[in-house]
Amino acid sequence: MQRILSRSNRWNRLLPITLILTGAAITVIAVAADLLNFGGPRGIGPRQVSLALSGFAVFVTGVVWISSARQRYISEWFQVALATIAVVFAADLLVINGLPEFGAKHLALASIGFSILTTGTISASSADGRNVGLWPNLLTLDKLQISRFLSIAFQLGLLVFVVRLFRLENQALYQNLMLLTFYGFLIHYFLPSHYRLPFFLFISLAAIAGILGFVNGIKLIGIGLGLIGICHLPISYNARVVILLVTGTALAALRAGWIQSSSLDVIWPVLASMFMFRLIIYMYDLKHSKATPTLTSSLSYFFLLPNVVFPFFPVVDYSTFRRTYYNEDQHQIYQRGLQWMLRGVIHLILYRYINYYIMLAPGDVSNTVELVRFLITNFALYLRISGQFHLIIGILHLFGFNLPETHLLYFLASSFTDLWRRINIYWKDFMLKVFYYPTYFRIRQWGANKSLIFATAFVFFLTWFFHAYQWFWLRGTFLLTAPDMLFWFILACLVVVNTLYESRRGRKRILGQRYMTAGDIAARALGTAVTFTVMTVLWSLWSSDSIRDWIALISVMKVTPENIAVLLLVFLIITVVFGLVIWISSLADNKTEKNLKQPTSFGFNAVTVGAIVLLFLIGNPVIYSQIGGKTQELISDLTANRLSDREAALLQRGYYEDLIGVNRFNSQLWEIYSKRPSDWPTLTETEAARQTGDNFIVELVPSTSISFHGEKLSINRWGMRDRDYERIPAPGTYRIALTGPSFVMGYGVADDEGFEPLLEDRLNSENAGSLYNKYEILNFAVPGYSAIQNLMVLEQKALAFQPNAMFFMAHQREEEAVVLYLADRMSVGAELPYPDLLEVARRAGVEPGATKVEAERLLQPVGTEILSWTYRRIVEVSRAHGILPVWIFMPTLENPLRHEEIVHLARVARESGFIVLDLSDAYDNQDLESLVVAYWDKHPNAKGHMLIAEDLYRKLQEKDKEIPLFQ
Amino acid sequence: MTNINGEKLTMQEVKEIIKGYILEEFLPGENAAELTDSTPLITGGILDSLATIKLVAFLEQRFQIQIQAHETMIDYLDTISDIAQLVSSKM
Repeated sequence: MQRILSRSNRWNRLLPITLILTGAAITVIAVAADLLNFGGPRGIGPRQVSLALSGFAVFVTGVVWISSARQRYISEWFQVALATIAVVFAADLLVINGLPEFGAKHLALASIGFSILTTGTISASSADGRNVGLWPNLLTLDKLQISRFLSIAFQLGLLVFVVRLFRLENQALYQNLMLLTFYGFLIHYFLPSHYRLPFFLFISLAAIAGILGFVNGIKLIGIGLGLIGICHLPISYNARVVILLVTGTALAALRAGWIQSSSLDVIWPVLASMFMFRLIIYMYDLKHSKATPTLTSSLSYFFLLPNVVFPFFPVVDYSTFRRTYYNEDQHQIYQRGLQWMLRGVIHLILYRYINYYIMLAPGDVSNTVELVRFLITNFALYLRISGQFHLIIGILHLFGFNLPETHLLYFLASSFTDLWRRINIYWKDFMLKVFYYPTYFRIRQWGANKSLIFATAFVFFLTWFFHAYQWFWLRGTFLLTAPDMLFWFILACLVVVNTLYESRRGRKRILGQRYMTAGDIAARALGTAVTFTVMTVLWSLWSSDSIRDWIALISVMKVTPENIAVLLLVFLIITVVFGLVIWISSLADNKTEKNLKQPTSFGFNAVTVGAIVLLFLIGNPVIYSQIGGKTQELISDLTANRLSDREAALLQRGYYEDLIGVNRFNSQLWEIYSKRPSDWPTLTETEAARQTGDNFIVELVPSTSISFHGEKLSINRWGMRDRDYERIPAPGTYRIALTGPSFVMGYGVADDEGFEPLLEDRLNSENAGSLYNKYEILNFAVPGYSAIQNLMVLEQKALAFQPNAMFFMAHQREEEAVVLYLADRMSVGAELPYPDLLEVARRAGVEPGATKVEAERLLQPVGTEILSWTYRRIVEVSRAHGILPVWIFMPTLENPLRHEEIVHLARVARESGFIVLDLSDAYDNQDLESLVVAYWDKHPNAKGHMLIAEDLYRKLQEKDKEIPLFQ
Repeated sequence: MTNINGEKLTMQEVKEIIKGYILEEFLPGENAAELTDSTPLITGGILDSLATIKLVAFLEQRFQIQIQAHETMIDYLDTISDIAQLVSSKM
């Protein structure tokens, strides 16, 4: 058969022409499907796109085949471009009248894959020209290579599922980027080596346009190309630096809002992340590096694929980026990448567990044990950063970038210099290369110790500065806080002292295998425990809003024999745990040493595969729903991408306050804030709300109408976000006074879209004229109001309007809200007209002059008592004026719903004398993300309000005997 | 190769001098046979910033050369071969 084929020149001409004609025909049919009227929906859809891509792939295969060796590259570039489109299409980033189905995606990919495989065979043997007789060679590919490819593809495929099942990080990652990585890897693997880097660049650029949107993507790429172009202007190096600084200043002015331009809001975090540090390294390497950068490597370096979904990104070094590109066997690089991706996934899941269940808010820490718990878990939240970085670098490995580790068992650092070498290694290398060594070399004539001290201190000063610089670019504000500065100062001092010590005494280094003695392990464990302990305390300083708050936190621990014993016991446990880990690590290291000369070991791979399969099974709802009980609940919750209680509380406070507590990169919250547009004010930053200077704190400004977040927001003459009403109701009117915070006011929706006007309209349209002539609901809700403020609303405002009923809208954080309010009032020495509440605070230990955080901590344990008193007072005042008090639970969308919390709050309300309605099932079977105003604003949108209005109407009908609204 | 003092050294001799210094200064008691010309020094954790500074000072003093700050990175100092290459380029 081979002889027949190879002898026949007819076949060599016929086959490519057949491919060209067939491919063209398929493409034309796909594109012209509407005109040829083959039925189906009008317009080009994903099936036509898939068919067109497949047809074009066949067409291009024929063209490559028929081209001469010199011209083949043109059609091969078409192939690469086509492969990019096919991969982007398969990753759901190319949406043309709907998302593609499974079959459509894989048809396009299979066609491209086939095209690349067949034309790759031609390229590999171009000396033989276009000999069809090479076809059978496809079938004799190296079996080992195929098995290794399949193993890696299998592991990667499962990892894609795992990231999706656990909904890790953000939707763009688990729905788009992971798919892009998977399909991109499959194609990339079979591409000839000289096309791999361009292909990586193409899919990186396509990811930017696909995820940020085409227009935003063009803006980002355009600005990026401009910045890279400046680096290569044909002028002196210093002149280029000056131009870059001027351009950077202009961009900074845009970022800071000095020059108004909200059109770049979406791209700032990604653009900044790609260029704010890499430009520095790039310019440094342009000056000093031996090798000349190529266009493709430079562009790939800046527009790195994972960067579009990870604004917080490791500072990849350009020289390392180029030097490590396919510098080892490709399968070893890919397998290492998979192992790091797995490690990253595990870190992120662990982070989630700690964040959801173990981490405490500083205000909740009230004793030594809780303080220890807070310190350890607060530091452990760094797992999010290390998880992201492992995932990022793992993904890059799949495209040949054999980059080094970003973190190395940082919790096992045995000294502060050791910690500096292990935690965020890329940052350390960046500092060393660009700042430390140049500084040291410039001043080394000062003497060794002086130079060391100065250079080290300078590096930590720069680290502090660049942290604030990074925050500026990602958030638009410069981070200048005392805890931040103090943290870096103290850490600098510790590292300087440690460095001087090591300079004098040396540091133990080892070559090859070395077995640690018990004494070695004990000494190392002790050093690690001390370093870890100091770092947890320092980290708590870094994450505090102020030094005073931090001191208040630490002061929770009173110096008593019991507390000292607890601390010593905890320290001992930590030391023992570290000792065990160090011992196990040393055994594992020695095994690795033995296997150094062998390819990636089967045992190691088996563990990786096993772990990925296990995570896939655990995260699969089909599997875990069979487990039942608390385990099922736990896994289900761990697969939900939500804010922790602390973060939800901060997000809610952030609607009303300018928070700096969201400045931690390891918090989910900062990511929400980084996406918030610069022109997205809180209501108190508009003319619709104002500070009152009294115990109401804030109120709505009467007779105001503004556009708020794109929706009309009108305040009537009485200061309610509502229609106009007369003070005295007309005869036959059933009037309801509605109180609550922002989601009751209708924050983020238009005037007629809130549940209150919807309910009022429905009551009137379906019931007016029967029991009552008319129904009126007066919306007294104000953003940020707690139950205590709503009590004052009832007494000082609502009573004058003679309501028949009071609808008190409550939410998950009722107790916390009254605690925060009372703590705030106590901290400013306000005169509250409720001596009973002040007595509760005094009994709890709140003294005049206490800070808000101190007062919060002391009032937390008596939150139920405060809330209960407030509820009883509301009921007493209501009943004394013939008003029916109704307590209605309305779920918020920031906080997860906990049945026991709702039961507790409802019981407090019922015992206080309220009639209780529960709307906690209003959002059942809904995608909660479709009910919020925006990703960064979890108030219910119009659809959410409609669901609440419907559920409330239904529940009112069920309570007809107690709440006589209906005939 | 010849340094500015007229000392003539072969590449192998340069490597032996460098190796001897590294073993004595940073790896006392370790098996000399484990330290080869291609053992990764920076990526292997043997040369941290302190050690690099000391090594540079030694190289400058021993071979009478000047090393720049940017020549402290992996491209130049990761292996004994790399270091010897750097030294020879300056002699």
